[in-house]
Amino acid sequence: MKKGLWGLWAILAVALAMFLITSSFDSIKVGSVELKSSGMARRLMRPPVTDAESLVGIVAETVGSVERFTVNDDANVVDTASKTILFIGDSMLEGLSPRLAAYAKENGHTLYTVIWYSSTSKIWSDAAKLTTYIRKFRPDYIFICLGANELFVKDIMTKRDVCVRNIIKEIGDIPFVWIGPPNWKPDTGINRLIANNAGNGHYFKSDGMKFDRAKDGAHPTHQSAALWMDSVVRWMSLHARHPIKLDVPSVAQARPKKVEVLQPLK
Amino acid sequence: MDNIWFNIQSLLSYDPAAPMIFSSGLFWCLFILFLPVYAILKKRRLQMLVFVVAFSLYFYYKSSGWFFMLLVGTSLVDWGLSRIMVSMCSRWQRRLCLTASIVVSLSVLCYFKYANFFLWNWNSMVEGNFQPLDIILPVGISFYTFQSISYIVDVYKGRVAPTRRWIDYMFFLSFFPALVAGPIVRADYFLPQIERNHTAVSAEMYWGFWLILIGVVKKALIADYISQYNDLIFASPTGYSGFESLMGVIGYTMQIYCDFSGYSDMAIGIALIMGFRLSKNFDFPYKSKNLTEFWRRWHISLSSWLRDYVYIPLGGNRRGTLRTYVNNFLTMLIGGLWHGAAWKFVFWGAMHGVGLAVHKALAPILRKIPDVWPVRAVSWSATMIYVSLLWVFFRADSWLDSWLIIKNIFTNFSPAHILPFVQVRWVWLLMMSLIVVLHSVPSRWIDGIGRWFVRSPWIVKLVVFVAVVQIVVQFMSQEVAPFIYFQF
Repeated sequence: MKKGLWGLWAILAVALAMFLITSSFDSIKVGSVELKSSGMARRLMRPPVTDAESLVGIVAETVGSVERFTVNDDANVVDTASKTILFIGDSMLEGLSPRLAAYAKENGHTLYTVIWYSSTSKIWSDAAKLTTYIRKFRPDYIFICLGANELFVKDIMTKRDVCVRNIIKEIGDIPFVWIGPPNWKPDTGINRLIANNAGNGHYFKSDGMKFDRAKDGAHPTHQSAALWMDSVVRWMSLHARHPIKLDVPSVAQARPKKVEVLQPLK
Repeated sequence: MDNIWFNIQSLLSYDPAAPMIFSSGLFWCLFILFLPVYAILKKRRLQMLVFVVAFSLYFYYKSSGWFFMLLVGTSLVDWGLSRIMVSMCSRWQRRLCLTASIVVSLSVLCYFKYANFFLWNWNSMVEGNFQPLDIILPVGISFYTFQSISYIVDVYKGRVAPTRRWIDYMFFLSFFPALVAGPIVRADYFLPQIERNHTAVSAEMYWGFWLILIGVVKKALIADYISQYNDLIFASPTGYSGFESLMGVIGYTMQIYCDFSGYSDMAIGIALIMGFRLSKNFDFPYKSKNLTEFWRRWHISLSSWLRDYVYIPLGGNRRGTLRTYVNNFLTMLIGGLWHGAAWKFVFWGAMHGVGLAVHKALAPILRKIPDVWPVRAVSWSATMIYVSLLWVFFRADSWLDSWLIIKNIFTNFSPAHILPFVQVRWVWLLMMSLIVVLHSVPSRWIDGIGRWFVRSPWIVKLVVFVAVVQIVVQFMSQEVAPFIYFQF
């Protein structure tokens, strides 16, 4: 026993020592191959991370100085209670939802996501689906991302005003944030319309941000969408009417507790 | 120095988001500390038992926090009732002890695992307004509950003698290699090993080390890597082409095998290093040519447990053909429910039950067909398609998602997507090919490599181990994914 065991023990210990030592470097190059670090030493040496510090160093690749429809009311303190979050919207949620799920997981929230492909404010308003999902999941915070499929609707103010109002009426007293569409061309007024109805501290205007887009030229890539969500969260901590605890997650993405998918209307 | 101390403390504390798993660096470090102490105490049996139980409870604490007390409580009740049982003379008193123990074990399991499932269904039926209970499922509760039931039943039937000391029983129930995700250890197989206190010889230890390496490759390299793509497909059932969905389904079929069998390999390997043998849990299940064979090769410790403690007590095949089919179906239904508190698992189990019944019913006809390679190919394909399709229901978040993925494969399939897929996802395909190769080559080849590894000089073992770990690091995703079977 002893001979074999000490031999095995020595192998495990020597290998551990090797990985500990090499992990103090970022990476090691052997010829043309770059060996990644196991991160062990860093994990041991890193200073304790506080909530405030965890925000530092996250740089979004988004630029633009656009109107964000914000409130600058310092009285809005962060609600640190765990929330049941409902995230509804169009296909843009494919990129946003995994990142928001990571935030939810990190901060003890529960996220339900409903993706309705090709949906618009009119479709959601006519179907009154939001009410159904509020009954079903009983959320105490709602995120919406809608508007990308109605960027170019003519005479939008008269056609969609009532739809956006209806959606906000369905939300009722539940705190919410509406994430505006990631314009790839100037819109005919959807951003202004939603912002007017949502009110201060509820609308994050994405128009003016720079995205890496998928091949369709419209949807941000998953990586870019994650940075988009990061921007929304940073904005929320400073300007949202009802900021909630959304510390930067240690993982890039996660799975919502449940994802419901609705097919496009024919 | 303060930072290092603080980080070690936080690493050793309970973190629900970071359960301790065999392929983590933390377990590796702790196992290095564990081994010498274990070796010193090995011949002092009582001290060894206390030490291993303490380590196992800490291992469980790292995964489930203070729920380790629940494990201690369950063991005390079971052990106490088993002692009372053997002191009883009359049959009904013994049966009372048996019933009490099973009721206690199942009640704890039902509360933690099925209470909210019951509430959800009750809500739907009566259109009630109950809020789900805030229940956290203790890791591995399904595994150790089955172990405790098998122990008490075996004691009742006289297959095993109850342990004289609680610590022996606790060692059996909490043995950390098999604690959180099996294999399900049977008392009649394991308790004699505690009595024997066998000391592993060098070859056994290095064979255990080899199994750990195989497990690490399966779980930390292959399963974790291919899961990243599979997760995308299951998160957006209609977001991808039919071909991509098909690859996601095949990918998950391989992922769950590598994930779970990799864990089992590691568990068996660690136990072997400690001088204990755990039963084989997987035997190349995807080589099966029918569903009956599949269940003889897949999660063997569970299927044999279900056979011995559910199927046979229900009457097995002793009560006529129809009753055999019903018993088979019911056993698989329970097997499905064991995997999770959701209708999708019930459906998954039920469909396997139906498949087994159909295969049994057709067996007389199938036996007449000549055993030639085209027949074998068709049998294997039919089995794989059936098993893979049922994995979709097992994995998808909802019924709708399952149907959407399957529908997508058949209605949105275009060969035009194949070439771009190969170009973009060639590493994923490489990993999948690796599984197929591992699964296709004769097992004696892999055993042969294992024997070579065992006999090789220590420097070769060190190089192989370092190389495997470095390859895992190269492909590691941002977070270490827990074993799929943790949730059961």
